[in-house]
Parts: sequence; structure tokens; C-alpha cells
Amino acid sequence: MTHTQKRIIINNVIMTLSTLSAVIGMAFLFWILGVLVINGIDALNWNIFSQVGAPPGYEESGLKHALIGQLYIVGVATFAGVPLGIMAGTYLSEYGQKSKLAEIIRDISDIMMSAPSIVIGAFVYAIVVMPMGHFSAWAGSIALSIIMLPIILRTTDDMLQLVPSTLREAAFALGAPKYKVIIQVVYRGAKVGILTGVLLGVARVAGETAPLLFTSFNDNFLNTNMNEPMASLTVTMFNYATSPYEDWQKLGWAAAFILSMFILGLNIIARVFLMKKRIK
Amino acid sequence: MATIIDIQQEKALQVKNFEFTYAGADAPSIKKLDMPIAKNAITALIGPSGCGKTTLLRSFNRIHDLYPGNKYEGEILFNERNILTSKEDLISLRIKIGMIFQKPTAFPMSIYDNVAYGMRLQGIKNKTELNDRVEKALKDAAIWKEVKDRLKHDANGLSGGQQQRLCIARAIAVEPEVLLFDEPTSALDPISTAGIEELVVELKERVSIIIVTHNMQQAARVSDYTGFMYLGELIELGRTEEMFVTPREKLTEEYITGKFG
Repeated sequence: MTHTQKRIIINNVIMTLSTLSAVIGMAFLFWILGVLVINGIDALNWNIFSQVGAPPGYEESGLKHALIGQLYIVGVATFAGVPLGIMAGTYLSEYGQKSKLAEIIRDISDIMMSAPSIVIGAFVYAIVVMPMGHFSAWAGSIALSIIMLPIILRTTDDMLQLVPSTLREAAFALGAPKYKVIIQVVYRGAKVGILTGVLLGVARVAGETAPLLFTSFNDNFLNTNMNEPMASLTVTMFNYATSPYEDWQKLGWAAAFILSMFILGLNIIARVFLMKKRIK
Repeated sequence: MATIIDIQQEKALQVKNFEFTYAGADAPSIKKLDMPIAKNAITALIGPSGCGKTTLLRSFNRIHDLYPGNKYEGEILFNERNILTSKEDLISLRIKIGMIFQKPTAFPMSIYDNVAYGMRLQGIKNKTELNDRVEKALKDAAIWKEVKDRLKHDANGLSGGQQQRLCIARAIAVEPEVLLFDEPTSALDPISTAGIEELVVELKERVSIIIVTHNMQQAARVSDYTGFMYLGELIELGRTEEMFVTPREKLTEEYITGKFG
């Protein structure tokens, strides 16, 4: 065998192996999606959106309570986490820059990002649920916004730093005060990136179960009082899917399907934004 | 010792015993520099990379202040006042001393909004006044014809040369007294470069201009005075036509004849 032949064989082997690995990875993704779609669509019906939870065996049982609860909990978390994250990211990129404090915050935020979400749930349990004496949707939102914070903070920081410093200098050189430079020029230059970060942050927390288990807990009925325990898609899904009743398990599949589609949608939108930005 | 010719005409800026030290640096990047800048004339700053010409230019509008820890010493007199004091109002200083950068810095907004940006900062809201001044600035920057039908379009859709002229329009729209050009054509093609140079020469009727350039032909073509800097010092300042023909300092001669740099 000549040297060249040997090289071609090794090349083909490596290419086959790496292609195979990629296909296996993708296969799991499509397997999950396939099972979800088959079982989810089968379980979907109008009742899911119009009816609240009911004991097993009841025909008229749905997820309305969990869908609305999910919107409330994630909505409030977004409302708190996004401005906080964007402002903190603005501090890091525009004010703290390379200072010690800013670097420490960056490190802590990176650590927070990889913190197990159940730990954050336990933390909120200790500082919110225990003093209040009962579970509440507020506690759930707080836990989610804490999880969301480092994601939005870091993307904002990164995206703002991508704005060329000459653009800032040019605005300063026209006599602009710092806050106007940030709001009118830097934010504008980074808005697509920041929006992407926000979408990814929301998508990340929307799928969280662990931190909600012992903060917002659950409720089988429709509740819009943030002071009370509230149903969420994830916890409801967990309860229904682990129950022995077939109709509840079906509802669990429906919840899983709706949640996945929502998160998939957010991710796709974020990616489309990023692609558009790159083309520009 | 530096050779500095006596500038007979009025001065726009006067640098006196100026030193500049970057944050964290042990030695100053500019050492004991004296330099008069003539009014309504073009002064070119030339010299090898790292000689401090851009550092000096960026001191005139104190853009160095954006980064903490940079230190000025000595004086830069502008309208008889030292602008290096800590109580200097940097916002009004930068309105009077504008700057054009190496790479075009069009803001991510429409062409119109770009030019109106500086005026809006000053609180001008009147639509007719804004329209008039935007048009005038764009005409003065010789770009009106190309953009008049797409004023509401994104400024980043313009070519590099057009963007640079847009930046000049934006800078002159606030009617500064001095304009600082930091290698304004180094990112442009020869045709755009010629256009910018022509524009710079026209602008000196109204503003005093300081231009940093790596391109000695450019300095020779556009400027009235040329300052040659080396290792943080001003080696020679003279009338451009004299300096390029009969430099008085040996270092200047070696640099402009390409012996180093």
C-alpha cells in the first residue's frame, strides 16, 4: 500500500466516524421531537386550552390553569429579570469595563449561569417561601428571574462590547453626554444582539421545573393571585406525567408538546435575528 | 531642540509644555511639547507609528478622558483658555472641537438622523431649522446629491467614502471652530481619498484643521503647516512647502526621504 492510499483510507475512516457521531446526536434530537409530536398532537384538543385541571376520569379536563400560570410566572420573571440584566450588562460594558469589580461580577455571573437551578429554588424557598409561610407565584418568578439574570447580563455585556469603541468616541466627539451615547448609539448598535439574549433567557427559564417545585408549587385550578401557589406547565407536566392515570399522562404529553413548541419557537426567532444581523 | 517656525497669523490652539501619560504607563507618550496651531489653516501631523501624533490629536478634544487614568500636564490654550483643567466643560469643548476618525463612524440610524445628531444634542428641535442645516451640512460635505433621495435610509448602506463624508457633514453641522482628522482616508480607496482631501481644503475657510496622516504626499497636498513628530516630541513645525523641500532638522529630512519610518 502506498503512502497516498493509506492517507486516503485514514481520511475516509475519520470522515465516516465523525459523520456517524453527528448523525447519532441528531437522531436523538429527532427521536425526542418525534415522540413528543406524536404523543403531544394525539393529546391535544380544545379542552386543553379551555378547561382547568380536574380529577382523573373527568372528561372536561385541561391545562388552562397551567398555561395561564406559566404566562404569569414567566411574565413577571421577565419583567423583573430583563431590565435588571440589561442594566447590569450596561454597567459591565460601559461603566465597569475592565475594572476589578466588573471582572468579579462577570466571574460570579458565569458561576451563577452554571448553578443547578434546584439550588436557586432552594435559595428562594429559604428567603421568600419560609418567611411568607407558604408557596407563592412571586417566589417562582423570583427564582426564574435569578436564573435569567446572568444569561441576559452576559449577552448584554458581550453585545455592547461588540459595538466598536470608535462609534462611542464619535458620539462623545459631538458633545454627547454618556447616557445619551449609551441609549442613542450603543444600544441601537447592539439591539438585535440584546433582543436575542432576552429571547434565549426567557426560553431558558420557561422550561425550568426544579426551582418552581418548591416556590410557586402547583395548583390544580385557575389562579391569578401571585400571592398564592400557582400552576405552571412544567410542574403540572411533572405531576401529570408521573401519575398513574392515563388521562393525566395524556395531559402531561400535551403540556410537554406545548412547552417544547414555545421554547423551540423562541429559539428559532432568536436565531433568525442573529442570522439577519450577520447578513448585514 | 525642536525647530518651530513663528506663525504670523492668528492661532486656533496653542500647546504649551504639554505632556501626556497613558494610564499605567511609566513614561509619558508626549514629552514637553510646544506647538502653535494656525487658525483657518490646515496643520498636518506626520511621523512614524507610535510617535504620539494621534495621542496629541486626541488631547485637543480630550477624548482620552473616556478612559480612566490618562494624565495631561502643561497647557493647551483654546480661545485663551487652558482646556486641560479638570473643570473644563467637555461637552461644550467637543461641540467646538469636532473629530473625524480613521474608520467611518456612521451611527446605526438614518442618514438624516446622523447629520442631525449633534444639533439635536444641542436641543434644536425646530423641523425647518434642522432640515435646512442638515441639507447645508450635506452640501458642504459634497454628498448631498448622492443622498438627497434617501435621507431616511440606514447610513450603514453607504459606501466607505460616502460614510466618511457623512461623518464630516455630521461634524460640521454643529459649526465647530476646529476639526481634528485622525487619518481620515486610511480606510478609503484613492478616489474617495481625493474627494475627502478636496473637501478638507475647502473647509479651512471656516474651520481650523489638524490632520494626522501616515501619507506624506497627503500632508504635502493638503496642509499649510506640517509638524513632524518623533518619539513623543515635536521635531519640526514649518510651512509645508518649505518643510518638504528644505527641512531644517536632520531627522525630518531622513523621515520624509524615507530613510526610516
